[in-house]
Amino acid sequence: MDPDAVAKAFVDHYYSTFDANRAGLGNLYQEGSMLTFEGQKIQGSQSIVAKLASLPFQQCKHNITTVDCQPSGAGGVLVFVSGTLQLAGEQHALKFSQMFHLMPTPQGSFYVLNDIFRLNYA
Amino acid sequence: MEEQIDLVGKAFTDHYYHLFDNDRQALSSLYRPSSMLTFEGQKILGVEDITAKLTSFPFDQCQHVISTIDLQPSTFAGGIVVFVSGSLQLPREEHHLRFIQMFHLVPVLEGNFFVHNDIFRLNYE
Repeated sequence: MDPDAVAKAFVDHYYSTFDANRAGLGNLYQEGSMLTFEGQKIQGSQSIVAKLASLPFQQCKHNITTVDCQPSGAGGVLVFVSGTLQLAGEQHALKFSQMFHLMPTPQGSFYVLNDIFRLNYA
Repeated sequence: MEEQIDLVGKAFTDHYYHLFDNDRQALSSLYRPSSMLTFEGQKILGVEDITAKLTSFPFDQCQHVISTIDLQPSTFAGGIVVFVSGSLQLPREEHHLRFIQMFHLVPVLEGNFFVHNDIFRLNYE
């Protein structure tokens, strides 16, 4: 398992899915998954997708500036992302940082166990 | 359980930045041979090389001011993931730097943790 390859593939897939159709993120999370979104704690795939689908914008575009990754142990991968988020109709892009802890599935792919998102205000 | 994660995670974070700001050599107690640090994209492995990197910065003291700390249990063997944002004031610098950092803490003995994973990025304007 090459953590860099896993991280890159995941980041590409995650943000392109987020930007095109947030409801499609559901199969990246499981029941034990945790999201902390701007300090709000949410658990489980259903609640997480409900939260992401409820964000008050239709379209957005993530631009990734940095991706760092490390193996977390037990086959997991930690991914640390920074970038900007452009919301449709907004003049200025928002800066954000996000971390994911990916764990392997029996089928040979990865799911998101831990997800923490923060906007980075000036 | 959640309260315990919060307590442990916050206590660790306070301790980490206190050591960093006042006695970086002492940070070696928080890492092990299996620890990994990625510092502004540079990958460093093991307590010795990590301590060497952290003590190589051209200042003695600095001040971290923490804005946000988010914590979650990482399930793998009772670990905790910690996600920190804040600012860093270096001596003789007029403006502070903004940073983000994540840690994956793994338990050693009952109630004791070490830093298994550490990723640090400056957050430029």
